[in-house]
Amino acid sequence: MAIELVFNIILGLCFAFYLFTATQLPATDNPIDILGAGGFPIIIGILGLIVLAMVTLKVVKDKHHVHIPMFDLKLPEGRMLVVNVILLAAYVALLDVLGFAVSTALYLFIAAASIGYRKWGRLVVFSLLTATVLVVVFGTVFYVPLPRGVEFLRELSYLIY
Amino acid sequence: MDIILQSLVAVFNPMTFVLVVAGTLFGMICGALPGLSTSMAIILCLPFTYSMDPIAAIVLMVATYVGGACGGSISAILIKTPGTPEAVATTFDGYPMAQNGRAGEALGLAVTASAFGTIFSAFAMLVASPALAVAALSFQSAEYFGLGLIGLSCITSIGAKNQMKAVLSVLIGLMISTIGLDSINGVERFAFEQPFLLNGINYIAVMIGAFAIGEVYKNIEEFRHRDNTLRDEGKVSVKLMKFSEMAKMWATFVKASIIGTIIGIIPAAGGSIASLIAYGSEARDKNATPKFGEGNPRGIIAPEASNNACVGGSMVPTLVLGIPGSPVAAVIMAAFMIIGITPGPLLLRDQPIMLNAIFLTLIAAALLLFVGGRFVTSQFGHILRLPYPLLGTLIVTLGLVGAYSLKNSLYDVIIMFIFGLVGYLFDKFKYSSAAVILGLILGDLIENSLRKQIIIGDGSAAGFVTRPVALVILVVAILTFVWPSISKMMSKKKPVAA
Repeated sequence: MAIELVFNIILGLCFAFYLFTATQLPATDNPIDILGAGGFPIIIGILGLIVLAMVTLKVVKDKHHVHIPMFDLKLPEGRMLVVNVILLAAYVALLDVLGFAVSTALYLFIAAASIGYRKWGRLVVFSLLTATVLVVVFGTVFYVPLPRGVEFLRELSYLIY
Repeated sequence: MDIILQSLVAVFNPMTFVLVVAGTLFGMICGALPGLSTSMAIILCLPFTYSMDPIAAIVLMVATYVGGACGGSISAILIKTPGTPEAVATTFDGYPMAQNGRAGEALGLAVTASAFGTIFSAFAMLVASPALAVAALSFQSAEYFGLGLIGLSCITSIGAKNQMKAVLSVLIGLMISTIGLDSINGVERFAFEQPFLLNGINYIAVMIGAFAIGEVYKNIEEFRHRDNTLRDEGKVSVKLMKFSEMAKMWATFVKASIIGTIIGIIPAAGGSIASLIAYGSEARDKNATPKFGEGNPRGIIAPEASNNACVGGSMVPTLVLGIPGSPVAAVIMAAFMIIGITPGPLLLRDQPIMLNAIFLTLIAAALLLFVGGRFVTSQFGHILRLPYPLLGTLIVTLGLVGAYSLKNSLYDVIIMFIFGLVGYLFDKFKYSSAAVILGLILGDLIENSLRKQIIIGDGSAAGFVTRPVALVILVVAILTFVWPSISKMMSKKKPVAA
């Protein structure tokens, strides 16, 4: 129950901040636009806080236990999940540095291995093949300007897409 | 008669028919790939149409539209990632059905419903084009506001397990929808001087994060003990419905097709709104077995029939009035202009074959969906036989490309990443990610219609009750919201009375 209460408090803070920011929005010059830019968000903010209070009361009343492996690093699945969240964050961060092709191949290899895949030969083929297919389909056929990376990786990418 | 013969020759000559086949297949492939929407498929076709005869060009684009509207359901059902925004509602029951080892059946339902919806709307377009377009023109902001509320009433169905949390989820979606420039006054809202937030948060990125990435996290956590039914099923292939099974659900087919056609006719509404409303109207049945959200076949038929019915419906105002009936129809209308055709009342007089040619294309493309569905699905099904570490990472990568290609921006990828975590936590705390998406999609429509109607009414909200159609829609919307509570109260009272 405690973890859900923390979650609800964070949600409450978000709604309160949203409501406060909505009240600070500039008033409209148009007198017949009664709601203005802030009117609708204020309604949503107030309704959100009311409904959240009702949900929180029910949480306190029901006292349900919610188990979230992500926050329990003693469990192997919890650790596996956290590692994968970090890997995805790293993948996103490295897209502009290593380029799409290299970072995708690396991500596919490391992430699949972290989830427990141990057939290394197949994994290498899968990572390289998937990255290549995605680059060809999206970069070459559909002209999506995929991230190219920096330095020589950038120059290299221009030869492919 | 002469015009009908000319239309038949125009559409069914070998060269044009190849375009119908190519357009349908291409649309399905783009629809099935997250990040490549139907609009993008049509835009990609555009360069090929420059040198074509106008009828051939329109035939190619309409066939692509039909294929794209159906294709989104394939990834929605198989990997819980709607390939197109129109397929969001298909995910609610399609994916649970696939997880129960009935992926082929779910795909068969989607293809059959899409074909039915397309054919239904083709006839509606042909018969009622001019009259319906005039009626739709009378829609003002008050009516749109009511339609938005009806769309939101889906939360009473999709968040059936915990209504309060579903309402809170939809409010979170509405909150996110207000980020960016206010479309009426141009005021910057909740963007905190970040340029990438000025255009708001794209719901496709949120959807990919909350649905696909969140689901991958969940599966990583459960993967040692997870149910492998879907992957053990072997080759996933479309299992078409028997006629007798279709007949049992005829009401769902017809109702969803009517909803889709009408919403398609209303300018600027579109398949995503149509599919949510159609889904909501079905999911109201609390006694359905299996329950909606747990793999009910009607939960696939309704959104798919309605979003494909939107294709024919949206062509009505596009052709007759020059007002696009959906965002995709807007792209088609732009293509009309590029190839030198001006949509509007004079089009049907100057190009009498056009309407019939589009009608025949819709029918041909609808029938081709059965062939295309089998082909695209069999290719897509191969990836589902991968071991989960490979499949999960592949889904993440596809999702990332999908989010990135929305605006070729890494910010959408970051949004996807954030909502992946949000989707995971929402699942744990029994909030509804689907309701967040619903609020996010309809937020703009609801806020703008509300404010515009008040502005039109010179500061008064009386227009919502003085306009008969708006009043009816609002009453239906309110009843839809409160009906679950009323029926609950009534069912509690019954035993006491007995």
